[in-house]
Formats: sequence, structure tokens, C-alpha cells
Amino acid sequence: MSGELNIYLRLTDAFNSGRPRALLAGGQAVVLYRLAIMSKDGDWILREDEEALQHVLGVLAAHGARYRFGAPLALPWMCGGWSAHFEFPYEGLRVRTDFVTRPPRLAQETLAELWREQDRQPPEPAEAKLGAAHLILTKQTHREKDYAAIGELARLLEDPGMALRYSRSARDILELSVRHPELLAAARQDRPCLVAVGEGREALAAALDAERRSLMIRNEERLERYEQAARDWAAVWPTVQKEIEDLPLPEAHARMLAAATGCLPTAVPALI
Amino acid sequence: MQDAFLSEEDLDLRTLSFEELNRVWNAWLRQAQATNERDRQEYSHGVFRREPEIRDQSQPPPAGG
Repeated sequence: MSGELNIYLRLTDAFNSGRPRALLAGGQAVVLYRLAIMSKDGDWILREDEEALQHVLGVLAAHGARYRFGAPLALPWMCGGWSAHFEFPYEGLRVRTDFVTRPPRLAQETLAELWREQDRQPPEPAEAKLGAAHLILTKQTHREKDYAAIGELARLLEDPGMALRYSRSARDILELSVRHPELLAAARQDRPCLVAVGEGREALAAALDAERRSLMIRNEERLERYEQAARDWAAVWPTVQKEIEDLPLPEAHARMLAAATGCLPTAVPALI
Repeated sequence: MQDAFLSEEDLDLRTLSFEELNRVWNAWLRQAQATNERDRQEYSHGVFRREPEIRDQSQPPPAGG
């Protein structure tokens, strides 16, 4: 299969057939930026409308996908920031597909503009991916390895103001500050650690480390809120899973919807 | 001199044609299947970290639980 598109690009192509509906995110998007191969699962941001979700479910059904523990791929939960997860075997691979419509740290207006842009200038369906700055925001997680990817993604940002906001390199930030002093004040308002720019490289590196730890803790707290909200759903999941494991995806989806309604809250308080 | 976040080997992806990238990517995905059992319950993305533990229904629940 060496000449074929890999499964994640094939899926992205199928999800976007006829209309932009899905942007590759996470580790597979990092590969498309040619920075590193570091994840074996696929992660997409979906357009938040019924047609998009139904189309994606159809593609997954055609691949014989089954639900993993997670939210149903349905608007009430997607609008609450939940994620839906599927898995299927493909030519010896365990393919995992993860979906959200409201990725963390991306504002609603940003997402709306992102989809308007996709409509104005649709990318190659197989290579539709989150822009580097948005990908950086979604990768501000609790995992150390994501910050390595962010470090290189920030170097792809052509706008020096954006690079100042997202760079993880004290050296790069100091150089940008010398070349674009006018941008530093504005960037500092969004990124308090840049106050350390005037204190030298070591102080700035320490401030960047503290910022990373703070971002990691905030993401952990966010996930804990979802975990708490999913407690009842987790308790009934073994039963639900047993009921749906041999069903075709459309039937399994209907059963997921029925079981999750009233058990998995659609809204989770105090989101980041 | 630049701060390094990823290895030279990682960043070598930039020198590959799309076909070469796809080949390397597929080979990596195949190799990564070796850890499937270890990360069976884990999540890479989204708001979940682990699948719930499925208790053996034939066993009594733990005391106090």
C-alpha cells in the first residue's frame, strides 16, 4: 500500500466529499506540517451542523467503525465541548477517530470564521487541516510532548506578532522582540510571561516553563470537569457497550443517543 | 543556533516528497501498532483520558464500594 494515501488522509478526503466538514487536527495535522510523526490516532474538528455529523457517521459506518466510550456524535453533546470516539480495523491497523466541534481554547467566533474561510477557499479535501496558530491552541494540553510540537509550529507562523504569542523558544522571542519592538507590548497583554523579555534569556526561559506548567494544569482541570460530568455515563457504559458492540453503526448510534440522554449532561460548567 | 524542540530526524520530513512522506507515515503507523494493547484504554484527544474499567460481573463488588 506504499503508493496509497494513508488512512487518515483517506478519511479526511471522504469526510470532506462535496463540502468542507472536517479539519485534521492533533498529531496527524502535525505530520502534514512535516514536523514529526508522533501519534497513531486521528483527530478532527467537525463543522457543527447536522449534515456534517451525519455524513461523518456514514463514512465511519462504511468502515465498520464502532463507538468507544465517549459522547454520541450528536449536536447536543458536541455543542457542549464533548468528544466522540470510534475505532475500526483497517489493513492491519487499529484506526481510532476522535471528533469535536468545539476544540478547547478556540473561541466560537474564531471557529465560525474558520468555517467561512473553508467555504471561501476549500482546501484539497484530503489535506484539510487546522491552521498552525489554531493547532497550537488545541495542543496546549497536559502532555509534555505537545509543547515540542508547539515549539516547531510557532516557527511556521509568518506573522511576527503571532510568533511572539506562541513561540516556546526564549531565543526566538528575544530575536523577535529586537526586530519588532512595536509588537511586544500588544503580545504581552495576551501573554504575561513576555514581561520577562527584559530580564534576559534565562529568566524568559523560566517564565516559559512556568507558563507551560500552568497551561498543563488548566487542561487537567478542564478534563477533570468532564470526567466528573461523565461519572454516571461511565457507570452504565459497560452495559451500553455490550448492547451496541455487534450492531451496525447507525443502530449503535441510535442506542447511544437513547442511553446518553439524561445520563450524560450536554453542558459542563466552567469551561476554559 | 536555535532551541531544538524536535529531532533532526523528525524535521527531515520536510525534505520528503508527498509520496515519500506518505510511505514513511504508513510505515510508522504500522510499527506503532506494537503498543495497541498497552494503550487500549487510553485516549489521545478529546475530553476523556481512559475508558472506564469494566469489572468482572461474576466477582462481588469490593467491600465498602
